[in-house]
Amino acid sequence: MKYFMNAMKGALLAVVATALISVPAMAGEYKGPSLSGQTVTISGPWLTADEESFEAVIAYFEKATGAKVEYAGSDSFEQQIVIDIKAGSPPNLAAFPQPGLAANMAAIGGLVPLGSSTANWVKSNYAAGQSWVDLGTYPSKSGKKEFYGFFFNVNVKSLVWYSPENFEAGGYSVPNTMEELIALSDQIVKDGGTPWCIGLGSGDATGWPATDWVEDLMLRTQPPSVYDGWVTNDVKFNDPRVVAAIETFGKFAKNSKYVDGGMAAVGSTDFRDSPKGLFTVPPRCYMHRQASFIPAFFPKRVKVGEDADFFYFPSYSTKKLGNPVLGGGTLLAMAKDSKATREFIKYLQHPKSHEIWMARAGFLTPHKGVDLSKYSSGTLRKQGEILQNATTFRFDGSDLMPGAIGAGAFWSQMVYYVSGASAKKVADNVQSTWDSIK
Amino acid sequence: MTLRKPQHLTLGRLFNHLALLVLVLLWILPTIGLLVSSFRDKDQLTYSGWWTALSTSEQNAWGRTGKAEDQIEKSGNYVISGTILEPGEKTILTFNTNFRNLSAYKSGETMIFKDDSHFTLQADGKYEWVSQKHFTHKRGKRIFYVANVPPSFSLDNYREVLASENVGQSFVNTFTVTIPATIIPIMIAAFAAYAFAWMEFPGRQFLFVCVVGLLVVPLQMSLIPLLTMYNKIGTFFGTEAKSYLGIWLAHTGFGLPLAIYLLRNYMGSLPRDIIESARIDGASHFQIFTRLVLPLSIPALASFCIFQFLWVWNDLLVALVFLGKQDNQIVLTSKLRELLGSRGDNWEILTSSAFISIVVPLLVFFALQRYFVRGLVTGSVK
Amino acid sequence: MLEQLLNALLAVFLGVGACTLYYVGSNFILDQVFADSGENAVRNSRQRAAIRPWLFLAPALLILSIYLVYPVLETLRLSFYNFGGFEFVGLKNYIWATKNPEFLQAIGNNFMWLIVVPTLSVAFGLAVAVLADKLWWGTIAKSLIFMPMAISFVGASVIWKFVYDYRGPDTDQIGSLNAFVMMFGFEPQAWITLPFWNNYFLMVILVWIQTGFAMVIFSAALRGIPEATLEAARIDGASEIQIFFKIMIPQIMGTIMVVWTTITIIVLKVFDIVLAMTNGQWNTDVLANLMFDWMFRGGGDSGRGSIVALMIMMAVIPIMFWNIHNFRKEEEAR
Repeated sequence: MKYFMNAMKGALLAVVATALISVPAMAGEYKGPSLSGQTVTISGPWLTADEESFEAVIAYFEKATGAKVEYAGSDSFEQQIVIDIKAGSPPNLAAFPQPGLAANMAAIGGLVPLGSSTANWVKSNYAAGQSWVDLGTYPSKSGKKEFYGFFFNVNVKSLVWYSPENFEAGGYSVPNTMEELIALSDQIVKDGGTPWCIGLGSGDATGWPATDWVEDLMLRTQPPSVYDGWVTNDVKFNDPRVVAAIETFGKFAKNSKYVDGGMAAVGSTDFRDSPKGLFTVPPRCYMHRQASFIPAFFPKRVKVGEDADFFYFPSYSTKKLGNPVLGGGTLLAMAKDSKATREFIKYLQHPKSHEIWMARAGFLTPHKGVDLSKYSSGTLRKQGEILQNATTFRFDGSDLMPGAIGAGAFWSQMVYYVSGASAKKVADNVQSTWDSIK
Repeated sequence: MTLRKPQHLTLGRLFNHLALLVLVLLWILPTIGLLVSSFRDKDQLTYSGWWTALSTSEQNAWGRTGKAEDQIEKSGNYVISGTILEPGEKTILTFNTNFRNLSAYKSGETMIFKDDSHFTLQADGKYEWVSQKHFTHKRGKRIFYVANVPPSFSLDNYREVLASENVGQSFVNTFTVTIPATIIPIMIAAFAAYAFAWMEFPGRQFLFVCVVGLLVVPLQMSLIPLLTMYNKIGTFFGTEAKSYLGIWLAHTGFGLPLAIYLLRNYMGSLPRDIIESARIDGASHFQIFTRLVLPLSIPALASFCIFQFLWVWNDLLVALVFLGKQDNQIVLTSKLRELLGSRGDNWEILTSSAFISIVVPLLVFFALQRYFVRGLVTGSVK
Repeated sequence: MLEQLLNALLAVFLGVGACTLYYVGSNFILDQVFADSGENAVRNSRQRAAIRPWLFLAPALLILSIYLVYPVLETLRLSFYNFGGFEFVGLKNYIWATKNPEFLQAIGNNFMWLIVVPTLSVAFGLAVAVLADKLWWGTIAKSLIFMPMAISFVGASVIWKFVYDYRGPDTDQIGSLNAFVMMFGFEPQAWITLPFWNNYFLMVILVWIQTGFAMVIFSAALRGIPEATLEAARIDGASEIQIFFKIMIPQIMGTIMVVWTTITIIVLKVFDIVLAMTNGQWNTDVLANLMFDWMFRGGGDSGRGSIVALMIMMAVIPIMFWNIHNFRKEEEAR
């Protein structure tokens, strides 16, 4: 795994370098004040395995302080939290999978700011800390920007999953540049195989995997400032640069020779079923571009690191934009203040709370003070290192855009795109929706 | 007394049977797909159609040989042996190490690898790999094969759901929500329906039509205003906003329009003479209702009971909003959704939980539909 | 656990008890206060007759006002406010709705749903109710047709996912419909993405579910037709088909209309199916799904969600008029 320093990002680099040197060695155990008799309520999207992991994180806090922490996970979290906040019965903390939604809640006065000391802590202690602070800062009901969102549990998205043995059998090698990736895809087609598995289906969230593709491609075809402008609509959605990124995605997804099932299957195949094509006999595809959480959906027998592995979704060697990393994450925001809740946030600043989940699966963190060896597998450690060393790191764009776009129009227009519409038309549609909510 | 005609099989009756049979088959075919799927293995669900599970099918798969450390020395050769099949009833037909040509070697034959070692794979999955040189590979070699897979069903999916934490409690919780939420609306609606059907008062038509209109109010619009109201009441009286009482009343409210509509229609269709003669005999409306109309309306009461029970039992949204997720409050639908995981991928849970959840409503249906008995009306005319 | 069940039973007893107490008690008091004897007997009788209906209606009206009428008024209010409900914006949301193509398309789709689904559900429901009435295995047949209703929308969407699923043309299909179609040599299709026809594939699901509803009610209603009437007709030589069209249907026409109305209204409200199968993509969106989208997606815009909700509620007005008309006809016939 190679990661290049981009000379243009010197300033950010300096911050990172300084922070790396000056990070205080945290004491091993967390010790909190006595909070017995107090309760903290948390609601979030984590269920089954993730829920158990979070409960383990909580249990440690409960033992250390005597407080009681109740976590309620829900698969309709996005609707529930809106109802609970609007109706006046919010939990103390809410784990938002999308900053856009948190921003909406802040705008109606449903969240309590975490304060500038927490913001400063994040700036100093998270790799690329300023980005994480910015991602958690939203305008309040009065319009003033406050820091609301503390990120806990993040994922890396610019990954391509593959079966190393299948590559070996075909004589393919891991591509290091986008040009090599495209050449590899053509080679696979020539050999009679299908290079890609792409599936956008996700129930009522159908279309979101395509947004990740487009965002990754935006980062690889345009400088990060254009990406940032795109996310705030300073760069219009139907700007030719965005349309070009969509069309590049189309080169993969709308090319029936490139994708398993042909273009028609892309929109209707569920994203959880799609990667299984890597492991069929004979394989239905050789590569699958998806975030770091996708191994949870591989067939039971597949061992990550042996039967399946990933490589970095490469960038164009000709464009000199470095190797940008796209990622996402869950942020914790306070909806109802209390002393115990504030202490819980402090607990999350301690590396111990991260390390507990790191030892299980499905958790990555940009916290610079954690012990990387606590990651439960080599794969996770590799991903964790990418995160720690990110210089150009950008958060999932659709999670940053206002809800009606990032969790609405962008998704559905992508589906429309793979059903045959043109990139320009689709981009125009999203832009007009965006104009209508301004 | 009229004698019933002997029920012999006329062409008409045959047509009757056939027509109904066709309809029923059409209707249950999709559900059978789900039923079969609920007994299948999780990964198989997404690879092959459910009908393939009913007969022996051919399947492409792969297995791994042992690692170098598993080798033993035998009469001057190095041997790795074992089985590449997981315990099951598969029988291997053909195999190869290259997935592009799966039928290269039949089971029982010997394949010679590039390093001159011999590999023999039997139909039951046992293999023997003999080499004159010491094995040095770290990972087992992948062997691709085509196998016959007989139909296999397991109760694993059901076990997974039923054994999950607190499922029993959530059953109880759901009963706790459903029974009162079914009985109370019926009482209130029956009285109101009778009033609309047989009593005179100003605005009768208008009010009734308003009630019908309320049928259309989308549930989702009520959630936030009502929860806000509950929260305000809760803080005012110092009680919990999310309680069983709250959800009983909410379901009552949501179910009343349909109840009143259906019951009124039924009560209104009862023969006028019965009511009239009772009034002439001096009975008050209250007495007519409780002694005459209510017993006669049992079929309608039973059918509404079925629907309300069903609707409350299967409800997810109202329970999520008005009830919490603690163990003593979470309902079955919510519990089952939780099992689907953070990203909702466990299809096998969906299939088995759909059937676990359907048992009780079906029982209720069976229990109540025998109240659809002809003759209650005719009997009382006499 | 046991304690909780006991609590529930207690609640049932208390609830039923409270209701009984109210109804019996209030009627009793009414009878006492406006006594049937004495000098004001006649006037009392009129008073009683005037008041009693309201005693019967009071609990229902109270609950309906709180749980349904109040939210309607709140929805009306929200339609004039912004997304968070705290800033008055006048008619801005209304104007947005009239210009929004998704909104207009959803209306068009709903129109198709409203014509197809009630008609088919009533037709099939009636057919099954009549056919199953006379056969020894009728109850089994009825419960099988009823099962889709019992299976909840989540279960139904999984079932139909397994029917409509599409994989690529040269792979194994796991969707029943594609397998069926391939048996006859046709190419598999991605059914729920096919323009125009995908709406009908979704309608099939709702018909599949609602037929059980129609059937149950018709079953009950058919039992209300006196056996004597039917026997007499048979003795007179009428065939079963003639009996069906000339006796059964007219006798239960009122019920048919009620079921039709109810299913029509359910069609206006249903969003679970569209949400789970396509989420309104590929031009399948309906008003209820659009409303759900605006209310809850991405933090929600209660202003726009309310407009869509109001549109849904307005669609019921013609139905209400039609019911008034029927109401009057019925009263005259009595």
